[in-house]
Order: sequence, then structure tokens, then C-alpha cells
Amino acid sequence: MFRGEQWMRGYRVRWVMRRHKSDRIIGALTVVLLGVGLIVIYTIGPMRVNVLNATYGSNYSENYFVIRQAINVILSLIVLVVAFKLPYQVIRKFSKVVMFGGLALSALLAILAVAGSSLAKCELGACRWFDFGGLSFQPAEVLKIGLVLYLAGLMAERKKEGKLSSLDFWIPFAVVSGLSLLFVVVIQKDLGTGVSLMAIILAMLFMSGVKIQYFIATLGVVAACGVVAIVSSPHRVERLLTFNSEDSSDTYHIENAMIAIGTGGLLGVGIGNSVQATGYLPESINDSVFAVMGETFGFVGLVVIVGCFTILLMRLLRTANYLQDTEESLVVVGVFAWATAHVVINIASMTGLIPLTGITLPLLSYGGTSMLFTAAALGLALQLSCYTSREPRTEEKVSASAKTTHEPRRRVA
Amino acid sequence: MSRNKLLKMGLLAVMGVIVVRLFFIQIVQHDEWVEKAAAQQTLMNVLKAERGEIYMLDGDEPVAVVMNATVYTVIIDPMVAEQDEVEKKLTEVLGDKRVAEWGDVFQDKSRRYYVVGKNVERRAAEQIAEAELTGVWLQASTKRVYPEGELAANLLGFVNADGVGQYGVEGALNDELVGTDGLLKTVKDINNVALSIGEDNIKIPAEDGENIVLTIDRNMQYNVEKIIAGKAKELGFQNVSAVVLDPNSGKVMAMANYPGYDPADYGNVKSAADYINHVVEDPFEPASVCKTFTFATGVEYGVMSPEKMFVNNGETTVDGWPIRNASQESFLLGDQTLQTAFNYSLNTGSTQVLRWLGGSETDINAQGMARLYDYYYNHFGLGQATGIELIEATGLLYAPEQVEYGVASTYANMTFGQNMQVTMIQVAAAIASIVNGGDYYTPTVVAGKMVDGEFVKNEEPKPVRQTVSKQTSETMREMLYGTRRAWRSNGTDKEGYYVGGKTGTAQVIKNGEYSFDETWATYVGVGGTEGELPEYVIMVRVWEENKLADGQKHALPTFNAIKDYVQDYLRIKPAA
Repeated sequence: MFRGEQWMRGYRVRWVMRRHKSDRIIGALTVVLLGVGLIVIYTIGPMRVNVLNATYGSNYSENYFVIRQAINVILSLIVLVVAFKLPYQVIRKFSKVVMFGGLALSALLAILAVAGSSLAKCELGACRWFDFGGLSFQPAEVLKIGLVLYLAGLMAERKKEGKLSSLDFWIPFAVVSGLSLLFVVVIQKDLGTGVSLMAIILAMLFMSGVKIQYFIATLGVVAACGVVAIVSSPHRVERLLTFNSEDSSDTYHIENAMIAIGTGGLLGVGIGNSVQATGYLPESINDSVFAVMGETFGFVGLVVIVGCFTILLMRLLRTANYLQDTEESLVVVGVFAWATAHVVINIASMTGLIPLTGITLPLLSYGGTSMLFTAAALGLALQLSCYTSREPRTEEKVSASAKTTHEPRRRVA
Repeated sequence: MSRNKLLKMGLLAVMGVIVVRLFFIQIVQHDEWVEKAAAQQTLMNVLKAERGEIYMLDGDEPVAVVMNATVYTVIIDPMVAEQDEVEKKLTEVLGDKRVAEWGDVFQDKSRRYYVVGKNVERRAAEQIAEAELTGVWLQASTKRVYPEGELAANLLGFVNADGVGQYGVEGALNDELVGTDGLLKTVKDINNVALSIGEDNIKIPAEDGENIVLTIDRNMQYNVEKIIAGKAKELGFQNVSAVVLDPNSGKVMAMANYPGYDPADYGNVKSAADYINHVVEDPFEPASVCKTFTFATGVEYGVMSPEKMFVNNGETTVDGWPIRNASQESFLLGDQTLQTAFNYSLNTGSTQVLRWLGGSETDINAQGMARLYDYYYNHFGLGQATGIELIEATGLLYAPEQVEYGVASTYANMTFGQNMQVTMIQVAAAIASIVNGGDYYTPTVVAGKMVDGEFVKNEEPKPVRQTVSKQTSETMREMLYGTRRAWRSNGTDKEGYYVGGKTGTAQVIKNGEYSFDETWATYVGVGGTEGELPEYVIMVRVWEENKLADGQKHALPTFNAIKDYVQDYLRIKPAA
């Protein structure tokens, strides 16, 4: 069934699976979720404008957020199509550029912040954004996609060379991952994004086929660093403490998110009837949009939304499992981990399962760069879903080691 | 198990936890969260009913004497307000209505609500509104205003800080005046703006209070107050009260108390006693004006006439207690008519009438006491509330069956208005019925109400009972007239007018005994065109603590001054 196929002229020619249609479910769910998000912003955007204008005397027009979100959705769909169409073999050429570009941008942001430039946008002492006259951009998003592309390439190459256990792999892996986390967690003080970076790094490492004891050791190092990072920053200690303390804005935020979700009941209050979005719930259109949906659509609606995300994520996981090419498979694992981290952290925050971490809900939250990068990642995964085989990868068991090769293989469906 | 499958299981497990958590929050805890939401999202606004205004009459035209004015509270949001601009403008406009120091207001900008001005008049509020200052807003409320100042303060009462009427018309008719507040219950946004979201929103409009029109004639009230204030100073007494009644309807035309107070500054009085409307709230021993009631009872039972003779010894003994006359002149001793007894207020005369009421010449018996009590209490309404629309004292009248008090000596005293307590309005209303042909009208101060600017009059009052016969009424008019005629040497009553009246000088009980250093002076008089039914009843009371006030010397001249004014004001014509 394999046949040679020449990709673009002048580029590497290789044997690949026959290109077939993409995973329709991934594409459909992406579009559906973007649409639902737009509808919700359409109803609560004017409320948000009203609150901002009344409270801070700002002068947004009524449909400011709705129009911006519509533009974001259109741009995201364009980005998605571009990422879907632009061959991965082209994209992978730029993996190092993206990776080191992301690190360079993070460094530049830190320098600008220290210099006090207005290009660096800071909130509460955390400088996470470039600000180009109203258009803000978070370099951590570049780091995410950079890590996915770079680590996939690095891991696949070392694996092919049989060097996954050697320093040739671990040194670049540790340096790139460590620098990324350093910028995001320590300098930008963005624990939420840090956790999602961590999810990407660890999921890809896990799926790279590295020996399980190495993986566990890595987890140990991460845990140790985590403790140090948390203790070293009063900002984060507070975050953890607020989970149980009164009178803080985070407690208020979570409380009001849960009021929104709780009042939704079984079927919700209906579109346009959210009261919590009229100013009680902070970040109603961004990080808290899930809570507004809970109020609007109720338990049934949220189960449908959580179900959509679950199916989308499982399809990504399945795609990774059926991609014979290790690098491509790892890219999809990275996208999966990225999206999963955002979905789980956001929803768990809103339902009071974990401390509040300011992180967006993919495809649904208002917010430009986050949505564009998510769309790009999903577009790429969608492209790769065109190359899955009918059989799953002959993949490592959980405790992959030299010994396992002697054990009889069992087919995994 | 493959690593991919492990991730898949992990994902499903986490999503499962989330769904369970959602079920817990949205289904299990649903009511709890709805309650929490309601606690912060519900706007409960009382829609204030406007308190009714109070009117007096100017002729037939109602004029407002108690009105509402809108005043404003000025509030600042220090976080949004621009200090320099706000400080400059508000300092200028608010003046002495400013209640906060600017330093304090802007010290803590996170406090987003600071009251800087109270009771700000509309004009100043408009200036503030026109300046369109960011972070400054106005909250309207109402307060009572009194265009006539202190006029009839004790009659009108005042409204306390909680909006509840106190004393007077405001207190007695609070329920009618206050109206019914409405309610606005709605969902609100974080800035307390009502939202149309939700199905439980309620709006019950407020029902404003009634605008009450009093029977009080504003001009007469004003002038009677002026007269009694003048007399109080002239005669040297601290307290004078007076009431002017239309005997043919029971309508009170003036109800005046001196001293009054300023209802707009009601907190600024020496004691709560200053709020009392003595005409209706203050029971006292009316003294000899009561002889009118005794003699009317005697005439009703046919046991006496003005010409009937009795023997005056200057004093008489009842149950071993001496009853003495105030006038001990020798020409009054021996055989005298009862008109003379009335003229010179001889207690021996009224005591004799009580004896005759029992069919005895020498003893006060049960029949006499029963007859007197029946007339005093049931016919004249003494010792019981009249039913006027004000806060009223009942007074005190001992029934004959009352142990210890229902005795002959008490009743002998009651014939001249001691050992009993009544209010001025009780006396005035009873006298009105005695002179108008026997029709008792419940005294009233309410003429009707203003509805949408129109004066809707109450039904004309009807008599509630017959106190005495027409014949007795005529006899009593003559007796009252005779009393004044006997004293008319001073020329106070012009020819062609009918004026009758009776003085009273009451001993005052202090510490359970009659005091010798304080007496209260009363006078009740009636008048009109000669030969016609009287058109006014005036009751006057003059007193001061530890001072001897005399009916003849103090109450009478006060009555005369009021009578002259009322006679002119009502344009009562002399008989041709």
C-alpha cells in the first residue's frame, strides 16, 4: 500500500502514507466551538462594554468585543486553513527558527520591561505581552508552537539514532525546555502558561519512547523546580493560599464563576440572560467564558461542550497513535497536550477544582493571539491527520525498556 | 497498555471528574448558588410614596400649609472624580450644605461612595447636575416644608427623621398621609442598574398619601394665635390655648396654642410637652364653666329655671365637706335666683340643683347623681373622646357606682367642674350642642381632601345625638347671655349681637390635694347675631405653673379679644 510520493520539488522526498481525507471530526468540532464562542461573545460582549464604560468611564462602542471577536474568528479560520495547507515538510524547516525566535522574543520582552518601554505590557508586575498600540501579543504562544515543532524534531531524530538516553538528547532538551519555563514562569510570572508548556514538554517526552525511569526522573526534577519556583515568588504563594482564603480577588472570581455555573442548573438561563456577565464575573468574555456558558446553557450545555472538547482531544490522540512517522506523531501529541492543558486548567479553575490560573479556554475565549495560535496548531494537526495509517503505531508500552522487545506484542486498537 | 492509551484514559478520567463536578455544582448545589446569586444580584427599591400635603382653608379655598420639597444628597466616587474640578465646583455650590472635608473624601480612593452634601436645595442640585462632573451623583429625597412657619404647629405636628408623623394631624392621620410605598424588585448589574433580565421582576407602583384639607381657617388661625400670644404677654401667663368652633357643624375653625414651636426645627424645644395640643390632648378640671352643664340638666328635668330661687349661705356642707363660694359679698347672701348663681358662679347654687335633681331639698341622693352623670357623660360627652380626628385625651368622670369616688361630695364638686377632667374640645363641643338647639356634632378638623388639585369636600356633618331639648337650649342661651349682660358694664359686647359665656377658675390638684398657689382660668363663650342661633363657640384657657389665673380677670379678656376678631372676620351682622 505504500507508494512513493514526491512532496514539493526541491524538498525531501520520502515514503509516506497515502494522503487521505483529514479527520473531519477535528475540523468540524473546531469550527463548531469557534461558532459557539462567537455566539456567546455576541450576547455578553455588550454587557462587558457596559460594565467597562460605567465603571472606568471608558468609551467602547456597544459591539466592540463582538466585532473584534468576529474578526478573530475569521482570522483564526484563515490561519487554520493556511496551517492545514502549508505542508508540514515546509513547516518543519522552520522549527528551530520558531523555537529560538520565541526564546529571543521572550528575552526581548524581559529587556524592554526592565527598560520600562511602553512596548512591554505589564499587569500587576507581570510583563507577559508586547503591546503594539492596542494589539497585544504574548511571546509565550510562540514558545508553545516552537516547543511542539522543535522537540518533535529533536526526539524523532535522536530516537532514530537510538540516542534517546544519551546527553545528545537530554542536553538540548533540558536547555530549551528549561529556558522556556524560565522565561514564562519566573520572568513573566505566568504559572498558567507555564503549566501548559510543562504539559507539552512532558507529554511529548512521555510519548517519545524515552525510558520510563528517565521520564520519572524528569518528573522529579520538574516537581523540585516547581516547589522552588512557587516558594520564590510571593505572587504564586498567594495564589496557592487564596484557594482557601477569603477576601481576595481570586476567591471572588472563583466564587462568582461558580455562582454563574451553579445558577445555570440543568438547562441554563438561556442566551442573553446571563446576569453574572453584567459585571459580577471578572474576565467574563475571556478566561471566565466557560462559567458564562454554564449559566447560559446549564449542565446539559456544559456536558455537550466538555464532550466536544473530549472528542476533539481524543481524535488528536488517535491521530498521533495512527501516524507512523514519529516526528509527525509527536507534533500531534504536542498539540494535544497544549489544548488539553488549556481546557482542563481553565475548566478546573472555573469549577473550583484548582487555584485560579489566568488561562484561556481554547476556541471559546475572547482573545486574539491565543485563538490564532490554537487555530494554527489545530490546522497543523488536521493536516497530519491526512497521513494516518490503518494500523496503530507499534508503540512503546508504558514501561518501555530494552527488555520489552522480548515480550510478545499485543495489538492495541 | 500503550502510552497513548494511558494518555487517553487519563484524559477521560479528568473529563469525567469535571462532569461530576459540574453535576455537583449545577444540579446538586443549584439552589444554593441561585440563592447566592440572588443575594448579590437583586435590587430591592422601595418606591417612596409621597406624603400627603396638609391644607387649611382661606374662605372656601384650600391653601397648603405643609408641603414636600425635594432635597438632594450629593455623593462622590473618589476613584473616578477629578479632585480639583469637583472640589472647586462643589465647595462653591454646596456652601454650608457640605458635610465632608475634601481631604477625607479623597484620602481613600478605593472607597467609592462618599456623601459630601445633604439637604441640598433643588437649585443648587441643578447647578451640580449641569456641571456634569464625572463621579458625582445626586440622590433625591423629600422633606416637609412649612410655608406658614410656626402656624398651628401644635395642631399640625411634625414628621420625624424616619418619616413617621408625630403629634397633631401628622401623628393622628399618619396612615392617611403616608400612603403606601411601592416596590421595585429586579435583577441588577454590578453597578446597581436594574436589568430587564429575569422573570421574577416585580414593580408595584407607590400610592401617594392623601392631601388633607383641614377645616381650620388659615386667617383665623393666624389671628387667634396672634391674639393669644399678645394676651399671654399682656397678662403675664406662660400658656394660653384657644379653640374656635362652628356650633352648627362641629367644624373647628381655629385651634391655637401658645407657645408654639417651629416644626421645621422640631428637635429644638425645651421638652416634649411643648408639642402637646392642649385643646385636645390635655385633660384638666374645667371648673365653673361646667355649671352650664349642671343647669342645663336641671332645666331638662324641670327642677329649675333661671328665675327659681334658692338660699345662698355662702357655703354648704356635703358629707361633712364644706363647699364655699368664691364670691362672698353680702349682697349675694339670702334668697337668690339661679341666674344670679350663674352670674356670680355660686357653687352653692349648682350644688342645690344637684339636690333638686334627686327630688330633695336637702340631700344629694342616688337619683340626682345618676341624672347628672347621665347628662354629663352620655349627653354632653364629658370624660370621653369626642371622635375628632386628632390624638385625644379622654379625661375622667366618676360614675355614681364607682367605689370611694362615686359619692355625694364628688358630685357636688362636679356641678362646678371639679373632681373631674375634660378636654377643651369636649367642653366646646358640648356647649355648642347646648346653644344650637340641642344637636351634638362630633367636632372635626378635616374638611376633605385634595385630589389632583381639586378640593373634594367631606359630607356635611350631621348631628350624632340630641343633648338637650330646643326649649332647654333657648333657656341656656338666655342664661349664658344673662351672665355676660350682668357684667356688660364694661361695654365689650356691641348692641345687636348675641354673646353669652361662662367663666371658670379651677383649682389644681398637686400631689393629690388641691393647691392654693395655682389656679387655671377658663372661659367658654358663644355668639352670633342677636335673636339667631350662635355662629361660634370659643373656649379659652390661661395658665402657668404656680400662678393664680382667674376666669374673670384672665380668661374673659382673652375671650373678648378673640370674640371681637371672630365676629368681624365671620362678618356677623348685628340684628336690625
